[in-house]
Amino acid sequence: MLSYNVKLALQSFKRAPSLYFLVLLTLSIGVGLLCANLALVSSMAGDPIPEKSDRLFHVSMNTWPTDKPAAEPFHILRYREAMKISESDIPKHSAVFYASGVYARDSQSISLKRFDSSVRATTPGFFALTKAPFAYGNGFAKSSGMEVVIGDQLNQKIFAGANSVGKTLELDGELLTITGVLKPWYLRPLFYHATEGRAFNLTDDIYAPLETAIDLGWSIHARTSSAVSYKGVQFTRDRDVFYLQAWVELEGRAQQQAFQNYLDNYSQTLKDAGEHPLNILNELRDVNAWLSELKIVDQKVLAFTLASVLFLCVCVFNASSLLLSRFHSAKFEVGLRRAIGASNKNIFNQGLTESVLLGLMAGFLSVLLSWLFLKLSITFLPDLANIAVLDPKLLLLGMLLALVTSVSSALYPLYRANRYTISAELK
Amino acid sequence: MLNMNNVSRIYRNDTIQTHALRDFSLEVNTGEFVAVTGPSGSGKSTFLNVAGLLDSFDQGEYSLDGVSVHGLKDDDLSRLRNEKIGFIFQSYNLIPDYSVFDNVDMPLRYRGFNTAERKRRVEQSLEKVGLASRANYLPSQLSGGQQQRVAIARALAGEPKILLADEPTGNLDSLMARQVMELLHNLNQEGTTIIMVTHDPDQAREVSRNIQVIDGQISDFKIYAPLQSSESSSTETINNKERVDA
Amino acid sequence: MNIKALFKSLLLRKFTTGLLILQLAITLGLLVNSSILAFDTKGKISQTTGLDNDNILIMSTQPTSGSYRDLDYFRSIVNQDIVKLNQLPGVNSVSVTNQLPIATQGMSSNIYDLDNPEQDKTDKYLQSVQYILTQENLADAMGFIILEGRFLNKDDQLDFGSEQKRNIVITESLKRALYGNESAIGQETNNGFIVGVIKDIILDPTLPSDKQYGMFVNTVMEYIFTGRFYVLNIDPHQMASVRSQVSETILAVQAERDIFRVFTMQEHLNRFYRDDKGLADLFLLLCGLMLFITAISSYAYSQFHVSRQQRFIGIRRALGARKKDILLYVLTENWFVYSIGCLLGCIVVFGFNILLSQYISLSKPDIALFLLAVGVIFISGTVATWLPAVRTSNIPPVIATKTV
Repeated sequence: MLSYNVKLALQSFKRAPSLYFLVLLTLSIGVGLLCANLALVSSMAGDPIPEKSDRLFHVSMNTWPTDKPAAEPFHILRYREAMKISESDIPKHSAVFYASGVYARDSQSISLKRFDSSVRATTPGFFALTKAPFAYGNGFAKSSGMEVVIGDQLNQKIFAGANSVGKTLELDGELLTITGVLKPWYLRPLFYHATEGRAFNLTDDIYAPLETAIDLGWSIHARTSSAVSYKGVQFTRDRDVFYLQAWVELEGRAQQQAFQNYLDNYSQTLKDAGEHPLNILNELRDVNAWLSELKIVDQKVLAFTLASVLFLCVCVFNASSLLLSRFHSAKFEVGLRRAIGASNKNIFNQGLTESVLLGLMAGFLSVLLSWLFLKLSITFLPDLANIAVLDPKLLLLGMLLALVTSVSSALYPLYRANRYTISAELK
Repeated sequence: MLNMNNVSRIYRNDTIQTHALRDFSLEVNTGEFVAVTGPSGSGKSTFLNVAGLLDSFDQGEYSLDGVSVHGLKDDDLSRLRNEKIGFIFQSYNLIPDYSVFDNVDMPLRYRGFNTAERKRRVEQSLEKVGLASRANYLPSQLSGGQQQRVAIARALAGEPKILLADEPTGNLDSLMARQVMELLHNLNQEGTTIIMVTHDPDQAREVSRNIQVIDGQISDFKIYAPLQSSESSSTETINNKERVDA
Repeated sequence: MNIKALFKSLLLRKFTTGLLILQLAITLGLLVNSSILAFDTKGKISQTTGLDNDNILIMSTQPTSGSYRDLDYFRSIVNQDIVKLNQLPGVNSVSVTNQLPIATQGMSSNIYDLDNPEQDKTDKYLQSVQYILTQENLADAMGFIILEGRFLNKDDQLDFGSEQKRNIVITESLKRALYGNESAIGQETNNGFIVGVIKDIILDPTLPSDKQYGMFVNTVMEYIFTGRFYVLNIDPHQMASVRSQVSETILAVQAERDIFRVFTMQEHLNRFYRDDKGLADLFLLLCGLMLFITAISSYAYSQFHVSRQQRFIGIRRALGARKKDILLYVLTENWFVYSIGCLLGCIVVFGFNILLSQYISLSKPDIALFLLAVGVIFISGTVATWLPAVRTSNIPPVIATKTV
C-alpha cells in the first residue's frame, strides 16, 4: 500500500506542479530561515565543553582596594590574587591568564612579513584545563621560559601546516621556541574569555608563558582596571592593577567547598590587614553559569529568531491554503476511490503520504537555504562570522521541522476532504 | 441479497426538509436483474446511492448479503463497498490519465492483493467486457461505449455480489447502448445480480423485474407494462409490502 | 455594497478566510515594526555628534616590528608621520590619540574635584569618564569648540616620567556635573588642573546626552604605544585624494606598520551602528519575503473561491451585472478581508513591538507608519488578486445554464 501511495503522491505532484512547487518553496524558506537562526542561537547558547563544563569554574573576587559602594565582584584579578590561586593544590588544574597580541614571523624567514596574532599569556595548567588538542608536541611546563604553543591557523599561515615544533618565532623582536602546535580548535562560545565582546572570537594564535609575557611587556588587550597608574604590564606585579582571569578545575562538591574556603580565608587575611574595604564576595561559576551570567546570546539574533517563528507560521498558513484548494480540485478522484471501496483511512493515508514526501523534499531544500542564509547573515551581522555554522543536529531539526509543518498544513484540508459525502463528490 | 426495510433519507438545510426516500422497502434476490424507473427527482438515484453505501440513511434497516449496514464504521462500510458492490456511473467516471489497465486495477488496490493476483483479475475482467487488447489505452482514445465497458470491467474486477448501474447508457448513442445492455444481460445470465436505474422504457421492459419510484417511495402507479408475460418478468408496485404478480 | 451579504459569504469559507486574515495580521505586524527599526537606525546614523563628520579622516595603525619597543624610536617615526601627513595638500591639521569618540570601550578613569572627593560616589557616571590621551593639535583636527579657557598646548606635555600634576581639558557635560554653572578653569581634580572646557561631543552614544563625560591629557607622546589613531582634518572636496595617499605616506616613512583601516568620522559613526543597520536590513528582507508569501496566499484564496462561485457569478451576469460590477465585487470582497486583517494586525503590531522591546531598543509604533503599512498591504494584495478578479469578471453569463 505504501508504494502505491507514493506512486499516487508523485502523480498528484505532476498534476499540479506549480502549486506543489509553491508549497515546497514556502515551507522550505520558512523552515530554512528558522533553522539558520536556531543554529546561531544554539552556537551562542551551546555548551562548548560538555565533557567538563560542570567541573570548570571561573573565579570572581571582590578585592578592589578602595571603597566602591554596590560594586559587583570583578571578573579580573590582580597578580597577587592570581598567584594565590595558582599556588593552591586544591584544584586539579588551574589557569591564570590575560589576553594580548603580537606580530609574529618565522625567525628563519627572509620575508619581513609579520602576522597579527592574538596571544594568551597563561600559566601552563591552561592546556589540561581546557583540553586543548595538540597536533604536535605539547604545552610548556613552566610559567616562564622563552617557549610558546601556537594554534593551527597561525601554523598554517607561517609554516604551511607542517610540524613546527622546535622552530623559533620572532615576536615583537624577541625569539621564542615552539613547543607545541594545536589541532584546529573551535570553542563556541569561547568560554575561557567570554567578556569584552570576545565570546565569539576564535581560539588564540599564540599561547605564551605568563611571566614571560609580563616581563616582555606585552600589553593587555582586554579589560583592565587600576587604582594606580602604571607604565606597562611589566610593572603590574606589585600594584593594584586588575587584568588577569582565573579558571580552576574542581571535582566534586568537597573540592569546590574546599577551594571556596581557601579563597574566603585569603580575602579574610586581606580584610584583617585593612586591605579589603568591600564585602568578601568570592564567586565560583561553572562554564554554563558563567556564560549565562554574561548574557552572551546576542539579543538581536533572538529578536530575529522570534520574527522568523512568526514567518514560519505564515508559511504554514500559506501552504495550508494552497493544499486546501488542491484537495478541493482533487475531490472527484477522491470520491471515485471512496465509491470503489477506499475507506476514509485509505484516503487519509494517501494524503498523509503526499505530505510526508513533500515534507522530506522541503527538508532537503531547507537545509540548503539554511546554509545560504547563514552565509548571508554574516554580511548583515559580521560579528557572527565565527559562529555561523550548521551543526549536524540542526540539519536533523530542519528535516523534522519540515515534516511537521508539511503534515500540519495538510491536516485541515485532509479533514475537510474526509467530510464530503461521496455522492456529492461524484456529481 | 439486498434487503431494505422502511428506509428514509432526509435532506435538511436551514429551513426545508426534503424526503428523498420515504419508508422505502425492497428485497432483491441473487441473480435478479432489476430496473428502477421513475420521473426526475423521484429519488431513484438516491436509492441507488444508499444501496451502494455512497450515502447514508436516516431511518430504517438495510442489509446487504446478510450483513446489516446499521452502525457499521467507515472502515467496514468501505470494505463492503469494495468487496460486495460494483458501481457503474452514467458518465463512466474513469481517471483520464490512467490507462485502461490502471483504471480497472483501482478497486483491487484496496483489497491487499499482490501484483500477480491483481494482474490476473484485471485481465480476466477486461476479457469479459471484450477489451483485453486495449489494456494500455487511455480513456480519451476510446469511444463512449468502450469507456463504459472499461467502467463495467472495473466494477467487475473485485468479483462483487451485486452491480449497481446509474443510467449506464445515458451518455451513449443507441448502437453503443445496445452493446452495453447486451453485456449487462450476459453478465446477469452468468449469475450477477444487477440493479439498474434507467429512463429508457425499453430497457426497463427487457429485465426480469421493474421498480417504479415516485416521490421517494415505490409507487403503485403503473407506468410500464411488461413486454413479455413470463414468470420471470413482473412489474412490481409495492405499497406496504404488497406484491402483485402480473 | 451589501456588507451583510459579503460578511455572510465570507463566513461560508471560514477556514481559508481565517488563515488569510491571520497572515495579513502577522504581515502587518512585521511591516510596521521593521519600518520602525529602519527609521530608528537611520535616525541613529544621522544624529549630530558635535563633530565635523565628513571632514575628519582617521587612520588606525599598529607597528609590527619589535624595534618599536624603543619608545624614542617609536616617537621619532610618529613625528615624521605627522610632518609628512601635514604636507599633503588639503590637510589642515594632524593629531594622534589613543581612542575615538562614538565608542563604548576605551580607557576611562574616575574623576572628582579635590575639594569634593565624594563626588564620584553620588554621580556614578563620574566613575568612568573617558580618558583621552592626545597632543595639542586634536582640537583643530576634530574641530572642537572651546567654551572656556583653551585646549591643551605644547607646554602641557610634561617631561617624560614627570610626577607633576597635569593640565586637563574636559567636556561641557563633565564641567556641569562637577561644577554646575561655576567656572571650571583652574579647579583641581584628582587627574589634574582644568585649563579648558570644550562643547560636548558624542563620546558614548549609549549614554544619555548630558552624561558625555570626557577628559583630554597631553600624554600620548609619553605613552606613544597607545597612539593607535591618526586624526586628520581635511578641506572639503579633498577627502578622496587625501584618503588615497595617507597609507603610502606613512608606509614610506617606515614600512613595518599594519594599517587596519582608513575611514571618515561619518563612516566611524555608521560602523558603530553596523549591527543595528544589519538587523534592520534583515527585518526588511523578512518583510519582503512575507509580503511575497501573503501575496501568493491572496492570489490562491481569490482563485479558489472564484472557481467555486462560477455558477453564481454566471447567474449574476445573466441577470444584468456588468463586468465592472463583478470586478468591483471581487475586489471589495478582498478589501473587506484585508480590512479585517489589518484590524487584527493592530494587536499584532503592538504585541510584537512589546515582545521585541525585551531584546532590542525599539520606538513605539506611530500612526503614520501604521497607515503606510496598511497601504502597502492593500496595494500588494490588490495587485496579487488582479488577475483572478479580471478572470472572474470575464465569466460569461451562459455558465448559468450549464447543468454539469
